[in-house]
Amino acid sequence: MPTFNKHIQIENKPDMVPIGVEKAIIAAAAKNNRIIAVLEDMGFPGLLWFKKNAPERMMECGIAEQNAAVVAAGLAAEGFIPIINSFLFANVGRAYNQIRQSILVDRFNVKFIGREGAWGETGISHNTVEGIGSCRVLPNLVILNPADSVEAEKATEAMLQYIGPVLLRQESSPPPIKIFADDVPFDIGKAYTVKDGKDATIIATGYMLTEAIKAIDILEKDGLDVGILDICTLKPLDDEAIIKVARETGAIVTAENGSVIGGLGDGVAAVLAENLPTPMIKVGVEDEFSQSGKITPQKDDLKVHFGLRAEDIAVSVKECIAKREKLKKRK
Amino acid sequence: MAHDEKLIRDLENRANQLRNNCFTIFGSTQMGHCGGTMSIIEIITGLYFHHIKFDPKNCDWPERDRVVLSKAHCCEAIYAALVELGVYPKEMLETYYCYGSPFQGHADRWCTPGIDYSGGSLGQGLSFAVGMAYAEKLKSAITDINAGQGGFLQRYIVRYDPLYRSYCILGDGECHEGMVWEAAMFAAKYKLDNLIAIVDYNKFSLDGPTNEVMNLEPFVDKWKAFGWWVTEIDGHDIRQIVDALDLTTRLYGDYRPKCIIAHTVKGHGIPSWERDHMHLGRGEVIMKGIKEGREKYADI
Repeated sequence: MPTFNKHIQIENKPDMVPIGVEKAIIAAAAKNNRIIAVLEDMGFPGLLWFKKNAPERMMECGIAEQNAAVVAAGLAAEGFIPIINSFLFANVGRAYNQIRQSILVDRFNVKFIGREGAWGETGISHNTVEGIGSCRVLPNLVILNPADSVEAEKATEAMLQYIGPVLLRQESSPPPIKIFADDVPFDIGKAYTVKDGKDATIIATGYMLTEAIKAIDILEKDGLDVGILDICTLKPLDDEAIIKVARETGAIVTAENGSVIGGLGDGVAAVLAENLPTPMIKVGVEDEFSQSGKITPQKDDLKVHFGLRAEDIAVSVKECIAKREKLKKRK
Repeated sequence: MAHDEKLIRDLENRANQLRNNCFTIFGSTQMGHCGGTMSIIEIITGLYFHHIKFDPKNCDWPERDRVVLSKAHCCEAIYAALVELGVYPKEMLETYYCYGSPFQGHADRWCTPGIDYSGGSLGQGLSFAVGMAYAEKLKSAITDINAGQGGFLQRYIVRYDPLYRSYCILGDGECHEGMVWEAAMFAAKYKLDNLIAIVDYNKFSLDGPTNEVMNLEPFVDKWKAFGWWVTEIDGHDIRQIVDALDLTTRLYGDYRPKCIIAHTVKGHGIPSWERDHMHLGRGEVIMKGIKEGREKYADI
């Protein structure tokens, strides 16, 4: 059995990220009457609570995401904390310019919850492979991508305490496993070392942390001691933690449920290229769109299609170690 | 309520002063969005020097009326007004377009106290003004809830005047943007009678006549159909402007957002700019107009 760090308490059963988000929103909204639920005809985490306890703080904008984003900016300018929930392609993708001009320029305190990464039943339109990459280039925006319900709750709590625009990407399909214990520390901008390793490090975000943990089992059978770094904050990246693990193992594999262009992999690569050039491999969606596909424990066509299973990560880790050894010999 | 002749004459003099300030701004860089700026001079004068609650010594006053300039490329007119109000010294007019200046090329709330909205990407200002108007309703509603009195409707009973009003100045060209109409629907749905949109209908956008670029007509009927109270005025007649603005105040409580469609002329008052429907003037062209303007509106 691999030994994980003390805040890790793995339970091998499906865990829902949205549950953690909902819990944190309800707890915060009950205490703070400046939190406003902005609806885009796409439901809301904690909708029933708002309907019952604070209907005046529910603002239904209809299917008009551009207007919703800028109205939220106006609310934030007056000291409210609007949360906009929808699919990522809609609340952020559809209102990209509005967010840039009317929210980020003035750092207004607007929060976005956008769902789904590269996969889901809904298909090419809704599976936002480019979500992280397109948002990482936006100045003033903090991006969070929690891995399980506990981290989601902590991240949502931190998001609502932070003053400024934040995007929280939640992945609900497929459900990850439960990974973190309730007392795990969470700070925006801080990575968490899930497991120390000697031979290589997997840097994972969101759902892919589940696959990374499964990959550890496979790699251990081959006698490899591989570490895991969990990156919940995709922007700003925790440069120090990334450089530290690169120095320790000298072989880095990044794993993300989204396009490798502009995503976690590119972010890590940029940090390492500037500070400590290290052999690395990016596991993620190559430059393509997604499609429909059911993902269940029995069936994972899309994961196979994109090469995002634990097995694929394990292969990449071995490749990366081989790369490192080859470089050593050359020296 | 008829406004007396003296007030109107004072405001007309103010408008001339604003024009002269704008000439200084344009002259300093030999560049500027002179056409659209000249068409809103009287509207800005009516707002800042007669109608709105604004404290030049305390630009962040929580109860100030909000002015959202959605056509933010015409921020020169507001800069001219802020200088006239004493928020900024007159010498600063010449720092327009300069690095570090509060007078940026497009209105920027972050570096220019007195500006409520950072614009530039057209069509978004109305939504922002709507957000601020909605926030005013919420602030009152939340206060009422804390007092154990209930929601939105309660506040119409307890309050006869809003904490503040939200004004939005739109260009006609930017009404081509779909989200202007999303905002219009939203404002009517939430009965934002504390919101006043003023459309600078100068009939020209960059590529040509606005209604040839994309027809807006029947413009008044469109706003009416969206559930707004609408009036049409001559946007260069100070008396009509202040009458219309003051009327919107008296109509507060009718559950309707207000729209004033101000018929204006692009480049108003400057013959060469009027003739060319000047949008962005540069070099000799703008300097020629400034010369004409300086002669016509000589310093008072």
